[in-house]
Amino acid sequence: MASHFNRRSVLKGMLGGAAVTVGLPVLDMFLDGNGVAFADGAKLPVRFGTYFWGLGLTDTPTGGTRWVPKTVGPGYEITPELDCLAAVKDKVSVFSGFRVIPDGRANLVHWSGHASILSGIAPASSTRFDGPSFDTRIADAIGGTTRFRVLDIDASVSRRPVSYSTRTGTTFATPEATPLALYTRLFGAGFQDPNSDQWRPDPSIMLRQSVLSAVKDQREALFAGVGKADRIKLDQYFTSLREMENQLAVQLQRPDRCEACVVPAAPKEMPHAASVDVVNSNTRTLAKLLAMGLACNQTRVFNFVHTAGSSETYMAGQSKIYHQITHDEPTDAQLGYQPETSKLAGLVMQGFGGLLAEMEAIREGDGTLLDNMLIMAFSDTGYAKIHSIENIPLLLAGRAGGRHKAGQHVHATGEPVTRVSLTAQQLVGAPVGEFGVGAMKTSNPVREVMA
Amino acid sequence: MPNRMKCTLGAALLAAGLVSVVAQAAPSLKVGVRRITETQYRHTIADIFGSDIEVSARFEPEKREDGLLALGSAQLSLTSSGFEQYFVLASAIAKQVVTREHVASCKSNECARQFIAKYGEQLFRRPLTEQELAARSAVAGSGLELALTSLLVAPEFLFRVETAEPDPDKPGQNRLDAYTKAARLSFLLWDTTPDAELLAAARSGAIHTEAGLRQQLTRLTSSPRYEQGARAFFADMLQLDGFDNLVKDPQIYPKFNLAVAAAAKEQTLKTTVELLIRQKRDYRELFTSNDTFINRPLAAVYNVPYLSAAEWAPYSFDASSERSGILTQVSFLSLFAHPGTSSPTRRGIKIHEIFMCEPTPDPPADVDFSKVKDSTQGTVRGRLLDHMQNTGCTACHRRSDPPGLALEHFDGLGQLRTLENGTPIDVSADLNGAKFTGATGLASFLRQDVRVPACLVRNVYAYGVGRKTDERDEDYLADQTRAFVSGGYRVPDLMTQIATTPEFFKVVVPSGARPAPTTTPTTATAATTTSAGGL
Repeated sequence: MASHFNRRSVLKGMLGGAAVTVGLPVLDMFLDGNGVAFADGAKLPVRFGTYFWGLGLTDTPTGGTRWVPKTVGPGYEITPELDCLAAVKDKVSVFSGFRVIPDGRANLVHWSGHASILSGIAPASSTRFDGPSFDTRIADAIGGTTRFRVLDIDASVSRRPVSYSTRTGTTFATPEATPLALYTRLFGAGFQDPNSDQWRPDPSIMLRQSVLSAVKDQREALFAGVGKADRIKLDQYFTSLREMENQLAVQLQRPDRCEACVVPAAPKEMPHAASVDVVNSNTRTLAKLLAMGLACNQTRVFNFVHTAGSSETYMAGQSKIYHQITHDEPTDAQLGYQPETSKLAGLVMQGFGGLLAEMEAIREGDGTLLDNMLIMAFSDTGYAKIHSIENIPLLLAGRAGGRHKAGQHVHATGEPVTRVSLTAQQLVGAPVGEFGVGAMKTSNPVREVMA
Repeated sequence: MPNRMKCTLGAALLAAGLVSVVAQAAPSLKVGVRRITETQYRHTIADIFGSDIEVSARFEPEKREDGLLALGSAQLSLTSSGFEQYFVLASAIAKQVVTREHVASCKSNECARQFIAKYGEQLFRRPLTEQELAARSAVAGSGLELALTSLLVAPEFLFRVETAEPDPDKPGQNRLDAYTKAARLSFLLWDTTPDAELLAAARSGAIHTEAGLRQQLTRLTSSPRYEQGARAFFADMLQLDGFDNLVKDPQIYPKFNLAVAAAAKEQTLKTTVELLIRQKRDYRELFTSNDTFINRPLAAVYNVPYLSAAEWAPYSFDASSERSGILTQVSFLSLFAHPGTSSPTRRGIKIHEIFMCEPTPDPPADVDFSKVKDSTQGTVRGRLLDHMQNTGCTACHRRSDPPGLALEHFDGLGQLRTLENGTPIDVSADLNGAKFTGATGLASFLRQDVRVPACLVRNVYAYGVGRKTDERDEDYLADQTRAFVSGGYRVPDLMTQIATTPEFFKVVVPSGARPAPTTTPTTATAATTTSAGGL
């Protein structure tokens, strides 16, 4: 794939009358030969994303459910809380019955679930993960050739921008939390239109590279005499620096043409509210920008948070938040479930439906963007009323370039969630044979959905 | 030995001659790496380059540990998108500085080295090493702006790297090096990088002497900048950072908007600084004093007239307002509530956490909510009483809810009310046998509670040293608390008192850290003709 990049050379440029000579660093793109091809080649790249929503989906005390389809295998029926999948259900697999096995650790409410799904380890404390989240491994495997190795997005309008992506377990990614911020990052300064005929390398980029080199030169001295925890922090700093270098190096390449790429207009500022209608509309706007960012080859990996673990979203005008309702609302004797909770769960899932629609709307090759990607969607709990970490809803959306035999319902009985995480990693070509720790350690992906 | 250099850049750069050398090369140990906060970054840039330099960026989110962002920042690193932001910001600052100072005329290498050494020392809070200087000098060939950007994006600036060295007075033991001490003082008291005098006291070693330390403390606490330091401490301790993304339902709280959110935070900080720093009043008056400041948007929420033409005006609530101190300000009441309701539990948890240093454990996972009644009827008290009867919940809710229930005459935005769903609200509370009623009752309770001064002492110490306290600190903290109480609960005295104790500069060697030889100190830049410090 990398044959048309022959850049282990020295570029020269002029800026402000000063001659600049900078050797390009070895990029991931020269080293990583797996998986992806460019528009002028045969194959379109596969992208990967995580999508998180808070408060799970609704079970019923008698063993029933508002979301698990009755049939397994292909052609599952649409359940009330998965109504949002109807339009693209052939491209989405549903996984039910998977659980977090805490190995003697406490169930940390609204935390153990997604921490385990992402890191493979039931966490010891509710402020950190005990290992990196697996999206970072995928980003390392497939994200090195684009401007952004990964994009993090939070639509929740929560108190603090939320991301569950972490390399260290303590520092979590800083997400873009408004459409304008995402737009600026993707299409503002530094964006190079892949379909422009006017492309020319920008010599100021080489100057910026030299700035980073001067910082990197001090690495060894900085690490001398440093303790273990501080070393991890500084390592993360230099990882971030290298990503910046990679980004600059990518910008010195003429971008490949992307037929589906149409640079969007700047979005308007969104209303400052956390009600579910606003969060959903925000999700849709962000997803539209993200879809174009993917189509324009600015990134191949993303993490999207709709609402955080103990979600603060609510129905506009209602005094109680969704989180409170999941706990307080009694089970309706006649219906057999919590009606208000289930209604809110369905509304929250409309956010995901909107995101899928935006991915499906972009034509790419013979199919759509969604055909060339895999999104793993999941929540922090199963049945939120009791903070259950059994039967946590997990979805894999998109055909992953044909590798995902999508459109199936897979039901397991008490198997670890890490099996689905491993499946996702393998479907997008991350070199991972085993995932998880202790009772959640697995080398057994869900083969039914792998082509 | 210092070289004598001439610089062509005029007075500003001649000051660079003050940059000097590290006195001795001894094995060094890095005992802490703490990311600087947004306010520390902003204050540092304003102090070094002038307040006219625009700092416009999204900063990395901070994280609270053990009640303080200062402790969280000791855990945090920099994400890739954060790095991107700091890189763009560094370039923008460097461009403004270089444009303003007309330093493009810096033709000679030596001139560039002086420029880098001067700003490098201020940014890194210590003199640059020869290698650090050489790396930037090489870049400076393409423009001083690049060299400055490289300093501004360096980990040595974005993190406070705290260093220890062998203590010459106590063989076999370590002490914080002089520059680390200077930075601790400066960030605690001014929330910014050490100024020239403090750096000079570090350079000369004066800061290691008791007289030298006291001299600096007196200077730092009598400066107007001390208010800036106190503001940063209280913004952290009172958890006022949550305002940036606070949302309220517009149908339920139509008076809420971003102007109200910003004003609420400012009100609490203004009140706190006025009361505790300017007037040096008893710390506990934070709970009882109704002397405050309001502006026009806040007057609307408090439902009082705003008669001043100024942006802010002093205001005192009368008894009919039911208000008492900062717990009844819009900041606390709206921050610790839900988008559409108040939350006695949240408020109670925060009162315990912020003012008594008593965190509340995570709720148990297997709660039986079957007894909980529909809360669209009556007041929230009924729902919480159900919690208190539940065996899994009772231990925490019996502690967390009563202080919050006493504040229930204030809704989720902090507006006074006496009814909920048409039912009169009962604001009596029983906290493990201590009975009080309403906000004023709660304030009297907190005023006499011994945990309150102890918690402040612990917070000031942990904030300053950037380390969680543990049982080994107990005796020390108890002594400090006694002194604070017997001195009349004066916050400025407390800060000075803590900063003069050896514990403030105590070396705690992190796991896995081994002494490493120090790198070569800078010598070539030290045109010390006017240096007060010298060797």
